[in-house]
Amino acid sequence: MAEQAEDQEQDVSNGAATGPVMDAPGGGAPAPEEPEESPELDGVAINAGGKSVEIGNFRVFLDLRMPEFDMGHCKAYSADNLRREEGSAFALVTDPVLPTRHDHLTFLAGMHMAGQIDLIDYETAYWPPIGRKTMVLFYEKPAGGKVVAREHKKLAIDEHDIATVVVEPLMNAMQAFSEKGLAHRNIRADNLFFADPMREKVVLGDCASGPPGYDQPAVYETTARMSADPAGRGSGNATDDFYALGMTLAELGIGRQPLKKLNDQEIIELKLAKGSFQAIASHEKLPLVLIEPVRGLLCDDPEERWGLAELNAWLDGRRTKPVQANTEKRAARSQNLAGRDYYTVRSLAQGIAKNWVTALGPLRDSTVEVWLRRGLGDNDRAKALSDAMRQLQWAGTDKRSAEDVLVARSILILDPAGPIRFKGFSSMVDGLGFMLSYDVQHGKGPQRFADVIVRDIPSFWFGRQMGYSPEVQRQQQLYKNLRYYIQQQSAGYGYERCLYATVRNQHCLSPLVEEEYVVEIADLLPALEKAAETASEESWPVDRHIAAFIAARLEDDVEGQLLAMQNPSDEVEYSRAIISMLAIVQWRHGPDNLQNLSHWVARLMEPAIKVFHSKARRERVETEIPKLAKRGNLVELYNLINDEQERRKDQSEFVEAVAEYSEAESEVFDLESSGPARMELAEKVGQQAAAFASTMIALLTVSALFLMHIF
Amino acid sequence: MAKGKRAGTKKGGRSAFSGLSVIASAVLLFMVALPTFITLTVGLLPSLVAFIFDRSAGRTMARCVFGLNFSGVAPYILEVWMQPSQTVGGATQAVFQPLALSIMYGAAGLGWLLYLAMPPIVANVLNLAAQRRVSELRKKQRGLIKTWGDSLIKEVDRSGN
Repeated sequence: MAEQAEDQEQDVSNGAATGPVMDAPGGGAPAPEEPEESPELDGVAINAGGKSVEIGNFRVFLDLRMPEFDMGHCKAYSADNLRREEGSAFALVTDPVLPTRHDHLTFLAGMHMAGQIDLIDYETAYWPPIGRKTMVLFYEKPAGGKVVAREHKKLAIDEHDIATVVVEPLMNAMQAFSEKGLAHRNIRADNLFFADPMREKVVLGDCASGPPGYDQPAVYETTARMSADPAGRGSGNATDDFYALGMTLAELGIGRQPLKKLNDQEIIELKLAKGSFQAIASHEKLPLVLIEPVRGLLCDDPEERWGLAELNAWLDGRRTKPVQANTEKRAARSQNLAGRDYYTVRSLAQGIAKNWVTALGPLRDSTVEVWLRRGLGDNDRAKALSDAMRQLQWAGTDKRSAEDVLVARSILILDPAGPIRFKGFSSMVDGLGFMLSYDVQHGKGPQRFADVIVRDIPSFWFGRQMGYSPEVQRQQQLYKNLRYYIQQQSAGYGYERCLYATVRNQHCLSPLVEEEYVVEIADLLPALEKAAETASEESWPVDRHIAAFIAARLEDDVEGQLLAMQNPSDEVEYSRAIISMLAIVQWRHGPDNLQNLSHWVARLMEPAIKVFHSKARRERVETEIPKLAKRGNLVELYNLINDEQERRKDQSEFVEAVAEYSEAESEVFDLESSGPARMELAEKVGQQAAAFASTMIALLTVSALFLMHIF
Repeated sequence: MAKGKRAGTKKGGRSAFSGLSVIASAVLLFMVALPTFITLTVGLLPSLVAFIFDRSAGRTMARCVFGLNFSGVAPYILEVWMQPSQTVGGATQAVFQPLALSIMYGAAGLGWLLYLAMPPIVANVLNLAAQRRVSELRKKQRGLIKTWGDSLIKEVDRSGN
């Protein structure tokens, strides 16, 4: 037991410190990094310019890496725009095991916005170096290059020019994002580029190639979000972008990333202990001109944090209201946990998350509650903790689970703005989907996510939020759906449905089509058509992932089909539901001809044919199926087995036939079992017949005698 | 109960009336036409015995024997009636001839045989009709199975369960 606890603790400590794998496309997936190492180079043209691949309107050169335009975990390659002569582009190859951001892609594609790098286009394409399809983003090459040189030479912007060169264009971009209800979440000095050769304006780099905040160093994340796992930092809002802007200004002012010498854990602890601004100011020398905006933007209270109005005022040279650098209340005495002293609730929350097993003691013996009352004078939190403790006493047989819930709730009581933390899992509520995607695609599996949802931890998080926020309301509604999905065991629900419902650009993870990187529902059937070439005869073309993907992406309601799929032993309904789902997808999104898939479906239609009782009808359907399969139309195939009029007729005739057969059977039974009764009847009737015959003979004889005498 | 009793009394009354009317007819016949009476009494002796011993409902056996027995007696009655002077001696002489007795009693025996033979014949006819119906129904069922396949049997079994 103790060993298990130690292992658990170890896992928790290791898990939270795991940072994004930023040096390889695939994020740890078994794919080669560089083109020259790849054994597979299908579809690659070798010409005078080197190895290249055509993707949409672009030709991407595999040999021409552009490391200066690498953005976060994504690699940049030189690309030619085949449709346009002027301008130059580069391709940013995303990691196939990290989902891209749909809203940002659709918002930015083809649009020019001051302060944001131009996203010309994006395509899903086969990328030879990793041997599978992934999403490739095509950006207009910023003319001035990267702001922060890799070698960390002297910064190219004078501290007095930062306002006009950096802040103004970035404010413009942030305002545009904010108006769309989006947050960039990738604002950092490392992601800034000079828009022009004169280096008079900067633009923000990519923000759509991965989960929000995934590539951000911990120092760039707010105190609320920094303790979440990189993939679960959440979509956030404009205030998070302003915080990142503050840290960007600090880095540009200092000339290197603030607190670079500290590891993530130390940065988190320092920021929680001192507050963000104090943490930076105490370790780094900020230029005088930037102190005011950095202080305002790094304010840990999002309500107090500087926004557009304050920045505009600062740009205009007006004074703004002073901001308290650290709003976190510090206790008069410390709370010790696992040998460390904690003075603030947030740092204690983080301490509890890091020491999951040992934290239970102080929570259960009310040490933390007493500390909250006496050390901090925070009776509200103390009461909430006491209530959570009382609920533990009501726990049933699963005490261990109840203790885990207590620890998770205690963390949320202490840090309600922070992430949901549960035994190593740490994600913001608005980052649950991306976190699940990361876990599923990086070998951790969906269990941690499922544990959090099943134990209803997010509900407690919602309950701890103060005031009204439409964003929280929206998330709450989404969470209700997630809880419903995870509680359902059948295909089309479960964690798979949660995944596709929360992450719009999550590609379908079904083993049948995963390599094809199917993000849009319209691409599903072509991918299945390809998979059908090699599919085994027994396998179904719709598995749990595909069912969930269709349910989440298709505009039509497929709950009826999912309901029918709940019982795979009912082959007729199961196969009909699958064919129906695929037919709807083809009807909505095409393509018209899916010969391989149709043949695959046709092979599996045998159970569905059983929907007809009449052998003649079945034979007719069986002869029709190959003909329709040849035409590649799933809708026609489905209609063949789903002709409602014909089915009703067949059903009513079948019912009549059953009644007729039963009547005949019962009559036969009566006839066969009525032997003795029949003998009795025969005797009676025979005797009566004999008597009647005898009487008739007598009458005839007498009559004949009389007649003979008369004539 | 009272109704049943009344019915029983009525039936018993009719039977008694019938018996009395037979006796009255016999007495009348004895007084008016003695030769006819002797011929009938001797000729219908098997029927008389049958009526005495047959206690079954409807007395079908007795009726059977009587019918043919009477057919055998009728020519001799007619012969008695055709004689210009009906005498007891003439009637007795005619009746007690071996051929006449054989014809009258043989006819009664045939009546009895008819009574014995008819039920098996009827039973065979009924059995044949039942077998024919069963084979018709089986043929119909085979036709249904041919049209609807095994699912029909399954459905019948399912609905039967």
